[in-house]
Amino acid sequence: MILKHLKKYWHFALLASVFMILEVYVDLRQPRLMAEIVDQGILGLGNGGVSDIGIVTNTGIRMILIVIFGGICGILSNVCTNLCSQNFGNDIRKSAFRRIMHFSFSQTDDFSVGSLITRTTSDVTQVQNMVAQLIRGCVRCAMFFVAGSIALVSLAADFGTVILIAMPILLLEVGFVLWKTNPLFRLLQNRLDRMNTVIQENVAGARVVKAFVQEQRESERFAKSNDDLVSTQFRVLILMSYMRPVMNIILNIATIAIIRIGGLRVEDGSIAPGTVMAAITYLSQILNGMMMLAMIFQTVTRGITSSRRLREILDAEPPVQDGAREDIPAKFGSICFKNVSFSYPDNDAAVLRNISLDIRGGETLAIIGETGCGKSSLVNLIPRFYDATSGTVEVDGVDVREFKLHDLRDRIAVVLQKSELFTSTIRENIRIGNPEATDAEIEAAAAAAQADEFIRQQPDGYDTPVAESGMSLSGGQRQRIAITRALIRKAEILILDDSTSALDFRTEAALQSALREQYRDVTKIIIAQRISSVQNADRIAVLENGSIAACDTHENLLKSCKIYQDIYASQMRKEA
Amino acid sequence: MAEKYEAKSVQQGFRRGPGNFGAPVEKPQNAKKTIRRLLGYFRAEMPVVAVMSVTVLISVLASVFAPSFQSQAIDKIVSAEYGLLPRLLGIMLVLYIIHGVATLIQGYISASLSQRIVSRLRKELFDRIVHLPISYIDSHSHGDLISRMTNDADNISNIVSSSLSSLFSGVLMLIGTLAMMLHYSIPLGLLSCSTVILTVLFTSFISKHMRRFFVKRQALLGKLNGNVEEMVTNYKTITAYNRQEQVIDDFTETADQLTRTGIIAEIISNCMGPVMNMLSNVSFVIVSVFGAYFALKGYITVGVISAFIIYSKQFSRPINELAQLYGQIQTAIAGAERVFSILDTETEHFEGDALTDVKGVIEFRHINFSYVPEKRIITDFSLKIESGKRIALVGSTGSGKTTIINLLMRFYDPDSGEILLDGKNIRDIALGDLRDSVGIVLQDTKLFSDTIRANLTYAMSDYTEDELAAAAKSSHCDKIAAKLPDGFDTMLSQTSVSLSQGEQQLIAIGRAFLSYPRILILDEATSSVDTRTELSIQNAMNELMKDRTSLIIAHRLSTIQDADQIIVMDQGRIAEIGTHTELLKQGGKYYDLYMTQFAGQAI
Repeated sequence: MILKHLKKYWHFALLASVFMILEVYVDLRQPRLMAEIVDQGILGLGNGGVSDIGIVTNTGIRMILIVIFGGICGILSNVCTNLCSQNFGNDIRKSAFRRIMHFSFSQTDDFSVGSLITRTTSDVTQVQNMVAQLIRGCVRCAMFFVAGSIALVSLAADFGTVILIAMPILLLEVGFVLWKTNPLFRLLQNRLDRMNTVIQENVAGARVVKAFVQEQRESERFAKSNDDLVSTQFRVLILMSYMRPVMNIILNIATIAIIRIGGLRVEDGSIAPGTVMAAITYLSQILNGMMMLAMIFQTVTRGITSSRRLREILDAEPPVQDGAREDIPAKFGSICFKNVSFSYPDNDAAVLRNISLDIRGGETLAIIGETGCGKSSLVNLIPRFYDATSGTVEVDGVDVREFKLHDLRDRIAVVLQKSELFTSTIRENIRIGNPEATDAEIEAAAAAAQADEFIRQQPDGYDTPVAESGMSLSGGQRQRIAITRALIRKAEILILDDSTSALDFRTEAALQSALREQYRDVTKIIIAQRISSVQNADRIAVLENGSIAACDTHENLLKSCKIYQDIYASQMRKEA
Repeated sequence: MAEKYEAKSVQQGFRRGPGNFGAPVEKPQNAKKTIRRLLGYFRAEMPVVAVMSVTVLISVLASVFAPSFQSQAIDKIVSAEYGLLPRLLGIMLVLYIIHGVATLIQGYISASLSQRIVSRLRKELFDRIVHLPISYIDSHSHGDLISRMTNDADNISNIVSSSLSSLFSGVLMLIGTLAMMLHYSIPLGLLSCSTVILTVLFTSFISKHMRRFFVKRQALLGKLNGNVEEMVTNYKTITAYNRQEQVIDDFTETADQLTRTGIIAEIISNCMGPVMNMLSNVSFVIVSVFGAYFALKGYITVGVISAFIIYSKQFSRPINELAQLYGQIQTAIAGAERVFSILDTETEHFEGDALTDVKGVIEFRHINFSYVPEKRIITDFSLKIESGKRIALVGSTGSGKTTIINLLMRFYDPDSGEILLDGKNIRDIALGDLRDSVGIVLQDTKLFSDTIRANLTYAMSDYTEDELAAAAKSSHCDKIAAKLPDGFDTMLSQTSVSLSQGEQQLIAIGRAFLSYPRILILDEATSSVDTRTELSIQNAMNELMKDRTSLIIAHRLSTIQDADQIIVMDQGRIAEIGTHTELLKQGGKYYDLYMTQFAGQAI
């Protein structure tokens, strides 16, 4: 359970409760003092019916002092509650984030990026609010309720009847509203998500909408999601708006009953008029406590939904776990696929079938094949972004599952298909590959990646900030920054996953010759579409429908492999 | 005004997403004008507003008068006139029920009113946004635009639903209570007022100091949310490079800072309650002491004191509420200002001459263009494309190829020069007609979170299954669908269905094919698609575009070498024009590019 994170802060919770009890105690003392002021002071019941200013003043000062004490307790209780709930929330937020950062790729696919973001932000806040409410609200409610009832009944037993009748009605009402609104809240959240998606897609995809002149259709789509949202929101608001007036009516009727009963008791001389006023105050305290309970219920139900969502993260065990072996000596970056098959979770269709492939240390292996044939899936198995469904993948002669993940990934530098850039400077973006890299190393790597020149042309050179997801840079520039990032890693294996597609030929040729000359010992796996990108590789693996159709040099493949000949012809057709 | 606004929108870049935790108070810039405009939305709802005002009035009157009967009842108990009690209590009962019913109706009306208004506002806003020029969307933070649709519109709705009636009833309550107090006893009434003033002073003092922490907290929260968003989005890179620990450390630092600030902010704001409580008790004692004194002197009865105790509570509650409302209203008005500034942005003009029977002759005449004044992107670009021709644009990154497309689609308008379609200046053509005649596949593939079918038929609401099947086949989308659990009806938002870049491009191509355009534009549309698939798509395209015009941008020369005309661009100018063979013979830039690709790396 998520509340175990509270353990660390139990003393704050305890202190908060103690201060809260004192505060409520003072609140409960008040009506009695008020009654004393009215009965003894103003009405002068002990003074033969003449008002006694002395009693009013003395009791008044006593009351103010007590109230100040109560106020201080209230403030301290707040301080403790906040220390407890916010630190607790912070702990959860941090462990959730840590968890997410160590997720396996398949888990992130399952949760979706958007939901992970809301979980670490708004869900944590909901749980935090719930804890604060539980510490303060529950103690307060219970105190008001129990002590208020006792105080009220001790004034006159008959008053208890009023409570006994009013209470179940109130509970029924609160229960009804909660029962009705709860499912609506979830619906509301979904509809809000839907509307946000429509807005987001229209802003980000404005060009597509405009190019196909679909403004009208999008407006209608939005109108629908907006109407859905509004109608749900309306239902929630209506239900919530019942709560207050109905409660008020019950409260006020109870007050009238108290006055009526009080009148009868004063008539038969068993209580004083001031007692009636005290009773009214107690009653409103008890019933206000009930209203507070309704609010707490709401926060708690939301908090429970959120804590369930957080637990899904915190309890999720990454399917890709650290291996046990340490100190596996670094060799030359040899990679070996043995009978590897792979399919994504939740989709039975096999992506890779029985792949067996030996890659020598320092070799350059190119992979070429149709869109969707499993090229990326194949290289994703090396740094264990996913685990093979059957068969083994070995790096430096050891099964990748035996490595510590950190150690394994330190040997590999991957340039992803989509160049992911962070909002910081170009230099910082590159340094992600290797935080210890010196500026000279960064510049040398950038030169090899053909990035140095354009980076220097930026307004602040390497220290130019990269704007929102790198939109200020062209696709080719982003790819070259990502490649630089991989090169400074000095890993024994370099994987380029179709990450030169936006480079023009001249640039790519220069990059390739730099890789050949300066990174001779690094094992290079290059996924590409163009023959020119692969033809100089030591070997080229031709992937077709998840299997290796052939794996040989450019020249041999041209002679023997039909698929490769087709690919070649598709690019060289004028000459073919 | 406009420039001031720009600076502001940058600061608010991170206001997106759910959770406005204790939104900081913002100062609106021209409150009066904005309020007047906001009130305009109520004009159509006048009858409803009138009904609501009546119910508010009734409920306020009931809650002002009821305590006076309560005090009379207590008086009767004190003076032992028990017989009169039932009648007084009966009146109280009636008043309270009237009050309850009135607030019920009021709640219903304000809920429906607020939802109607916010729904209208959001629709207007969306219609605006969808018609905003691309230049506006390119130059503004997307997060900010989205936040205006959601956060700002919500703030306005909250103000309308909750605050409007409490504002109204608060003011009425204040006046009513004050009148009653003064009616019963002028000195005691004035005394109660003085304690209320104390409360007001205190509230404003605290909220002034609180604001600083809330603003800081909001900024940290924005930073944290942005941090999470970026790191989760880019988690692949973080994982691949073992940067998790560093990222977690950064996150922890921000999270801890946020918690520290949050604790201070919350503690200060939570102090309000107990301190208010103290103040209201002080006020009680003051009323009691002086009440007793006046009762002793015979100025007032004891029942009046009991009424005063209620009145002084009734008096301070609306004041506290109004103090809180003040901040909320300010935030909402600031939000309304942002919303209105979008509503005031000029949208694209759709009027123009209708286009019929497009031939697809495109002519650029002496086009000059720059996105920012100093940096010229296109210089004196002139080109005539005959109908039914296949034109390719090549050139290095930044040479202005995509800009030419932007101009042709009128996403941007040139600084000087003109573009003609079938001899007509495209500025004079109805925008919808112009874009309808063009099918485009963009560099950055954007698909909608809907089924593959819906994405393919995006531009065609009336399609036959045969047309869909044909377009899917020629764009190889049928192969993608075949691999997915629900075929064409697979939802793309489902995360287990993650398509590769190449597959996404294929769907975008299918989308353009199905719209069967007069002019087809492919902007690096097949960069992630393998060349064999590309070749078969091109063959299909040749068939489809037989006597139609197409414009292709690509790095891969194999993609373009069949073109009727190849335009080599360099720094916004046309460097070379010709067919593949002509250009090769010329031995210029195109020849260089070709040699690097096809002659291998043996340079």
